[in-house]
Amino acid sequence: MSDVVDVVLVDDHHMFRTGVKASLDAGVRVVGEADTVDEAIRLVRSVQPPVVLLDVHLPGGDGGGGAEVIRACTDLLATTRFLALSVSDASDDVVAVIRAGARGYVTKNIDGPDLSDAVRRVASGDAVFSPRLAGFVLDAFGSSAGDVAIGDDELDRLSAREREVMRLIARGYSYREVASELFISIKTVETHVSAVLRKLQLSSRHELTRWAAARRLL
Amino acid sequence: MRGRWFGGVALGLAAHLDLPVGLVRLAFIVLTPVAAVGPVLYVFWWLAIPAGDPAAAARDVRPSALTRLARRQNVIEPGRRIPVTDIAIGAVLVIAAVLLVAVRAGADVEADWLLPALIVLSGLWLAWSQLDAAQRDRLRDRAGGRTPVSVLRVAGGILLAGVGVLLFIGLGSGEGVEPATLAQSIIAAVVMLGGVALVLTPWWLRLVRELGDERAARARESERADIAAHLHDSVLQTLALIRLRADDSAEVARMARAQERELREWLYDDRPAPGTSVAASLREIVAEVEDSRSGPSGDPVAVEAVVVGDRVPDVDTEALLQATREALVNAVVHGLPPVSLYLEVGASQVEVFVRDHGEGFDLEEVASDRFGVRESIIGRVRRRGGTATVTCKPGRGTEVHLLVPVSSGPDEGEER
Repeated sequence: MSDVVDVVLVDDHHMFRTGVKASLDAGVRVVGEADTVDEAIRLVRSVQPPVVLLDVHLPGGDGGGGAEVIRACTDLLATTRFLALSVSDASDDVVAVIRAGARGYVTKNIDGPDLSDAVRRVASGDAVFSPRLAGFVLDAFGSSAGDVAIGDDELDRLSAREREVMRLIARGYSYREVASELFISIKTVETHVSAVLRKLQLSSRHELTRWAAARRLL
Repeated sequence: MRGRWFGGVALGLAAHLDLPVGLVRLAFIVLTPVAAVGPVLYVFWWLAIPAGDPAAAARDVRPSALTRLARRQNVIEPGRRIPVTDIAIGAVLVIAAVLLVAVRAGADVEADWLLPALIVLSGLWLAWSQLDAAQRDRLRDRAGGRTPVSVLRVAGGILLAGVGVLLFIGLGSGEGVEPATLAQSIIAAVVMLGGVALVLTPWWLRLVRELGDERAARARESERADIAAHLHDSVLQTLALIRLRADDSAEVARMARAQERELREWLYDDRPAPGTSVAASLREIVAEVEDSRSGPSGDPVAVEAVVVGDRVPDVDTEALLQATREALVNAVVHGLPPVSLYLEVGASQVEVFVRDHGEGFDLEEVASDRFGVRESIIGRVRRRGGTATVTCKPGRGTEVHLLVPVSSGPDEGEER
């Protein structure tokens, strides 16, 4: 990667921000930091960085946390991409921020090289799925093999291939490993993952909606 | 809500439908001559719809994740303490009723005055004694709330009940029982019952509603106390231990990991009852392995566990989980981190993948006397009609795939 990716780091814990900054490699540069919802919105709007590393739980604003920041910057989503960073494994937190428009989700115990990699991937327009997010997707869309999407435009079901990719990611495979396991290119894996992300964001699938409603996400 | 005339139904409806209040009130008035639809609807909605601003209520609803540990503040508006005017109106109504009855009774006004007055008074006392002191205070605290309305309703109900009782007694003690008298008595009884119902129904409805609210509040309180106690017992202790053993990095990492997992479970999981969830059993196994086993270099190994679906454990899943444990121990002790674990509960089968980044082992080369892999993993699963495969690819680690067929659907656990 020749280009340096500029990143705005949003987290309410100073110690954590310092840790993240120290662990990111040379290809990622932190150009701004914010620690509340309001400050984050202001900073993202003025800097308009290619990537925002966003904590899911943030003080301030209307109490909506990271998802609120994304919703306030919806018009920037084409150029500024959000990567959600969370210490929580709670599915409701994750799905809320993804449905708000984040391009990916990683847990805070991710190591430096992986995080830098995830930032670059999000910057280039791809989606980043952790094994756990893949697990959520399979849970929400149903994992039974018979229930598969036929056409590409079907939002409520995963295609057989997408499900296969999600299962491999949930099993701890990297994109590269998924690609070689399924005999497809990494680019194809990324396409599948992006398609799943889109479905996760747009689907009105009954279970997903009910599931989210039960957790007061909608 | 501010600006209400009676029960605030029109105001609430206007807020809900986003229409001017005047229009809604006009609609109610217009509907009144049409078989009294207006008043009937009004009373029905009054009873059925909880008071409050729908927009404010919607604002109060926040993502559960954010309210998890946050106590919600009960904002009580300061307002009038005692609705003097309404009590006065009620009193006037009661006195008017008493006088009317007295006039009806004619000459016996003086003699019969004591009994109806007593009945009315005891009715009042009865209605008020349903509220304990705390609730009465709370009702008074609700600014512009239901207090005046309640008083009016109580007064109206008692008025009716009193009229009914008096009609009953006054006529019964007269001459013989005629058909007209009987009919009148029946009407009187119905009126009385209606009055009593009018008194009791709103109270009863409100009591039920408040009971629910109070239960929820108490549940929240005990949850908070639970968490506070837990933080004290476990997190603080672990922090103290970590400080004591700060030089032993492997031990510190292990303690931190164990504590993190425990805290996570407390904060984010639904904590299913023991023996009802395969996912929970699996997490226990992961915890046990993480705590008790170390990797080849002596460092603790974190296991990334992902679970999809859940079901009630049975013998089949029990065997599968035991095999999973062995596979996991194998991966942690002999393999290389990161170790991933994936469990998928399907309609007809349960699958487990355990993966590490070590060089792995060849199944055929495992000596038959090494009981570990052959018996404890593969044997267990095969005896349940399942399959176990080990895949090793150079540079891509080792993956153990276990599959056990199960009988019933995976939703059993949720329907309990």
